Amino acid sequence: MKLPIAAVGRSIPRLEAHAKVTGHAAYVHNLSVPGMLIAKVFRSTVAHGRIRSIDVTAARAMLGVFAVYTGEDIRKVIAEPYYGPAFHDQPILALDKVRYAGEPVAVVLAVDTHVAEAAAQLISAEYDELPAVFNEVEAMTSTAVVHEVLKPAGTFADLKHLKNKSGTNIALDFHLRRGDVDKAFATADHVFEHNFRTQQVLHLPLEPFATVAIPEGDRKSGTLTLHSSTQSPSFVRIEIARLLGWPENKVRVKVPYLGGGFGAKVYIKSEALAAACAMLARRPVKFATTMEEQFYMITKHATTLRIKSGVTRDGKITARECEVWWNGGAYADIGPRVTQKSGFTAAGPYEIDNVKIDSYALYTNLPAAGALRGFGIPQLVWAYESHTEMIARELKIDPLAIRRTNLLREGRPQATGTLMRDAALGQVLERLATRMQWDKPLDRGTETLRRGRGIAIGFKASISPTTSMAIVNINADGSCHLYSSTVDMGQGSDTAMAQMVSEVIGVPVQKITVVHPDTDVTPYDMATLGSRSTYHMGHAVKNAAEDARDKLFAMARELGLSAETTPIPDVFKKKYGMQAGNIVGVGSFIPPYTSPDANGQTTDATPFWMIGATGAEVEVDIETGEFKVTRLVNLVDVGKAINPAIVETQISGATIMQLGFTLTEQMNFDAGHVTNASLADYKIPGIRDIPPLMENEAVDANQKSGPFGAKGVGESGTFGVSPAIANAIDDAVGVRLTSLPLTAEAVYRGLRNKAGNPLRND
Amino acid sequence: MAPFELAEPHTLSEAIALLNAGDVPVRAIAGGTALMLMMKAGVFQPARLVSLRRVEACHAEITVMPDGGLSIGAMATLSSLARSAAVKQAAPVITQTLKTLSNVRVRNVATIGGHLAHGDPHMDLPPVLTALGAQVRTLSPVGERTRAVADLYTGYYETVLADNELISEVIVPPQSGSLAAYLKITTRAADDWPTLGIAVSLQMEADIVKAARIVVSAATNTPLRLEVAEQTLLGTTLDAVTLLRCGDAAVSSVELAADAHGSAAYKRELLRVYTQRALRQALAVQL
Repeated sequence: MKLPIAAVGRSIPRLEAHAKVTGHAAYVHNLSVPGMLIAKVFRSTVAHGRIRSIDVTAARAMLGVFAVYTGEDIRKVIAEPYYGPAFHDQPILALDKVRYAGEPVAVVLAVDTHVAEAAAQLISAEYDELPAVFNEVEAMTSTAVVHEVLKPAGTFADLKHLKNKSGTNIALDFHLRRGDVDKAFATADHVFEHNFRTQQVLHLPLEPFATVAIPEGDRKSGTLTLHSSTQSPSFVRIEIARLLGWPENKVRVKVPYLGGGFGAKVYIKSEALAAACAMLARRPVKFATTMEEQFYMITKHATTLRIKSGVTRDGKITARECEVWWNGGAYADIGPRVTQKSGFTAAGPYEIDNVKIDSYALYTNLPAAGALRGFGIPQLVWAYESHTEMIARELKIDPLAIRRTNLLREGRPQATGTLMRDAALGQVLERLATRMQWDKPLDRGTETLRRGRGIAIGFKASISPTTSMAIVNINADGSCHLYSSTVDMGQGSDTAMAQMVSEVIGVPVQKITVVHPDTDVTPYDMATLGSRSTYHMGHAVKNAAEDARDKLFAMARELGLSAETTPIPDVFKKKYGMQAGNIVGVGSFIPPYTSPDANGQTTDATPFWMIGATGAEVEVDIETGEFKVTRLVNLVDVGKAINPAIVETQISGATIMQLGFTLTEQMNFDAGHVTNASLADYKIPGIRDIPPLMENEAVDANQKSGPFGAKGVGESGTFGVSPAIANAIDDAVGVRLTSLPLTAEAVYRGLRNKAGNPLRND
Repeated sequence: MAPFELAEPHTLSEAIALLNAGDVPVRAIAGGTALMLMMKAGVFQPARLVSLRRVEACHAEITVMPDGGLSIGAMATLSSLARSAAVKQAAPVITQTLKTLSNVRVRNVATIGGHLAHGDPHMDLPPVLTALGAQVRTLSPVGERTRAVADLYTGYYETVLADNELISEVIVPPQSGSLAAYLKITTRAADDWPTLGIAVSLQMEADIVKAARIVVSAATNTPLRLEVAEQTLLGTTLDAVTLLRCGDAAVSSVELAADAHGSAAYKRELLRVYTQRALRQALAVQL
């Protein structure tokens, strides 16, 4: 019965493609159930203030309004209505004070969206304004304190020491010490120090946040079902159960396809408010944000980075010191994890004997920041690959050569002390050099249109340790079901997981149904985030499929049949006398992990390393500073590709997303208020912004510890984009930009500064 | 979005009558691409919208007039303008401008009348039509009027049009012997509102400039003619020195506003460079 199908490694078309392009795919955003109320939020108009009063009388009196709730109402169903993965710091609706402009203060429930919206506009609130802090470096010492007392959730050991701390905005400080940087700086031929900044941006999935919460039974013995656009159904179930004081089995979370996630929909977002409203109203409640409201939900950290290196005269880096300040906004979300995990690799993919890293998660009075496609890595690569390039230029060393000199080799210890294993850094760099034809001179353009090129390479430790479980069910006709809580948000996980089941059991993917997350049905999975699914869920799925196959083989042998050659239906028929029964295989996976010590040292920082590099060619108009990225070459190490075509689109998708964060995207603020909360004013790249030449390649690699040699894919394409473009601009016109986004005006000002004729402001 | 009354009159005069509604907020809606955004953002909450989509079909016609000029019905969509052979022949700069004016979904429904009446200084055609010396015919209960596009705008989203006055037609005078160009400069994404728009139109005799119009938009509250800069061109052959002088004159004759697209100082430098580039582009156009 085992046919060598070789499903893994083939570019099988996505299983959901037809349903999506024909408009049949279901999304929570389109879901409607009988008796459903629509929730619309009234938001804070101040960045930091004590709530003096909230007036909801006019809203309540409006025809068609079912109810209006404030934070105090929520307490009737949830005594301690604070949620969050790292800290229990975020109130479902503001209590006592507001911490950012745009924070939910009250909610209207109505049968009609327009009525709910109009009623929300009738709510007013008065605040005693408090001094606010917006900048992450200022937040270190600011007398404006966002949270009076820190409330770590207790799930992360390294946050425990922050419990009940007061008078601080530091939500995590991560420190890594290796060797002796001060001594190494003292003896280095050269010491370089630079500062960098990244701006606050956001995810903007095409489908905004949406949850439909349906209560059944009464408050004491009932249940709650949540249909939600979430990347982490298992976490939502646990967190809602915790808030309600219920066992996990009373909360059910179902997830169809997502219209994008990118880290926005991880942990718990729209679910807490929808659940609380449904419990209060005893009616189904839908809380779906508009595109514009996404600007007040979750964002990507703005950062300030300081990086200092000691270097020998031939370009060997002997010491590196990094300080990173992460602007976490008003609520921690998963920011402290970003601070720690990315802290592991802040010094870059180089073998450096002396490393000192200090990474701080800061509370500020801005919309909260969390995980966005790269978990902090793109911010760090921006700094260390700009810095590395600046050193190379200063020492007149070729940018490729300085990277070759310092790159971490297989088996060598990285800054945490963990040895590099199955990390194709050298291969990625060399393939990039080949594709860029780095050894050949570049056409430098004309007098006014100058051309340049740049490269950058980054790496990432996967978030760890995390658990995945899977169930594979073989039906009597040989078709299969895969039960997994991995969310297909567009990355193609359904297809990849089905390919793995197909490969193990020998059934074509068309005969495999991937059952979408439903916590009453599909087993636990930590979340779909951090490029972890292919590796972690992949292992669980492979284990479950192997378990099912082994049971099938055992059953065949028991019946005196050849396990290898008997068709699956014949085995079932012989066993049960007809087309009946099934075989259930289970699988689970958690990788080995050792927590870092007080110096950030560990023998086991990550189950796998993700690697991404980008080469850019640019054309700069020296009369205006305008520039075009004419070519982007993206190289990644994803181990063995389960589905090469999907891998390719994941690389290009990640690259284009980071291109937006590099060139066009920026949340603008005025006294903490977002001033461009719309797609008309916040510019994501359009088709005409994409470089005419874009090449994406996954190098021929193998993650020996991975399922079928595979590892994570989704984020690697983001790593090198920003510094590669900045390095190319420098190469073209000798202007160094240290702050994102890279704008034409910044280039123009750089050109004027270089000419000794700075552009004066009014 | 709050509920509102939607009227769909069958004639332009009925539509104008429906606009007389006293104090309640009433607006005419044609393509609705700009108005719907304002309503969605809660900036504008109408009691009544008067849709123009059912008015007489003649108001969407594009015709070449006997003198070679263009008559464009106010309800002509931007797509129909973009595809019109008559427009391309009579005023190719309009065809060129439409290529990067918003996107195809907007162009398919947005109308020239709405585009001109909206009063947003980031619109592309007001500076172009100003440079071409175009006029609009308007209708209101007091009768028909003809106004120069150049005189339509009084401020940021402010026009001379009365609340019950509708643009019915755009008239582009014959452009024989004139050269024109429009450059839209975006500094964020390629598909964006312009940071700066520059439209130029030149009347040449042999190689000599006889008349010139230079219009700046987007960085100013209204499209503005830069007459001092125009003066520097008259009687010249548009040699390099003249172009430089013209760019400098453009910068010194106008105040530009800073916004999320760029500082005022940077926009001045863009204006200096792009005024010259627009003139060069106009000159490169084959007659």
